[in-house]
Amino acid sequence: MPFMIGRAPVRRTLKYLNSGRIVLKDKIKIFSINYNVGLGFKNKVHEGAQAFVFWTLPQLQYKNPDVQVVTFKNMTPTPFIRCYYENGNQILIDIDSKSNDEIINHLIKVVGKSEKTLAAETLAAEKKDNPANFGVGCSRKCMCEIPDQIPCPGVCPLPKHMRGKYILYKKDELENAEV
Amino acid sequence: MNKIATKGRNFLLLGQCLPCTKQNAAKVRVRRMVLDTNINMYFREDKMFYVHDPNKICKSGDIVLIKELEKKLTTLITHSVEEIVFPLGDVTDPITNKKCVVGKYRDQIEEANQLYGKKETAFDYEKAPPRGKLEGKQDFSHGITYLKYHESEEEQPFGIQ
Repeated sequence: MPFMIGRAPVRRTLKYLNSGRIVLKDKIKIFSINYNVGLGFKNKVHEGAQAFVFWTLPQLQYKNPDVQVVTFKNMTPTPFIRCYYENGNQILIDIDSKSNDEIINHLIKVVGKSEKTLAAETLAAEKKDNPANFGVGCSRKCMCEIPDQIPCPGVCPLPKHMRGKYILYKKDELENAEV
Repeated sequence: MNKIATKGRNFLLLGQCLPCTKQNAAKVRVRRMVLDTNINMYFREDKMFYVHDPNKICKSGDIVLIKELEKKLTTLITHSVEEIVFPLGDVTDPITNKKCVVGKYRDQIEEANQLYGKKETAFDYEKAPPRGKLEGKQDFSHGITYLKYHESEEEQPFGIQ
């Protein structure tokens, strides 16, 4: 850990930041959290929120660089999280007396992308990442775009011996059907 | 990450109003966290936005939600006010919908004050005029302050020593 300064400098490692579990849904623009700090607020009510801001908020911001993550301190008696959607909707989450883990799990269920979605997204990203791939989701849509390959089958139909229809089905049947 | 979001980074923002002398606009300070790649730490960076506010509903210190305009009004005014989330001094707890002050609800404070004995000249939330009535008389938060460089006969309410 370079620059091992401050409390819990593990929070400032790339490995820690990349291991954030909460990836907010695409339509969420603002993630705001209201909580209290100070000697009078080291009770169960705000402890979880304080821990969440200390441990999880950097991970959240790292995984969602385009979301505005705002904290408001010492405004209301109880802590809460408010997410603002693109279409104007808001979601209010009460985190009174909840622990850091409870808040994370709840957030993933309510405003986060599920593990399945994230896995599918990483797969799609990998497919696009490899420049040799072509097809749906890649930079080259058709075989014809690759140099030295056949012209686009949508424009010049493939010769019959290259078509799956003729290889798999009976020739006579197909010829009769086409006529 | 694949982003299916249709609007840009600055489409919807939360910020605090600052004193502004423009007639139809309010100045809003938006705080964003920016990652310092050297030590992997997030630091606050302020960005000023001029926000279309024709009715002057935003007072300095309020936390407002601003939305990007489809087309810029002027070169500076790019956003418009959506709603005032937390007006200064008049915060409503969204979970209970009660007015509160830092860690207590106003009615709790009232009760305690009544038990101790409330002075007649003490501040009463119900009787107090809405913010804006005392602008120019007792409230000078709407103007931009400057360091006084010259003492003259005329009053300088926004000049600081």
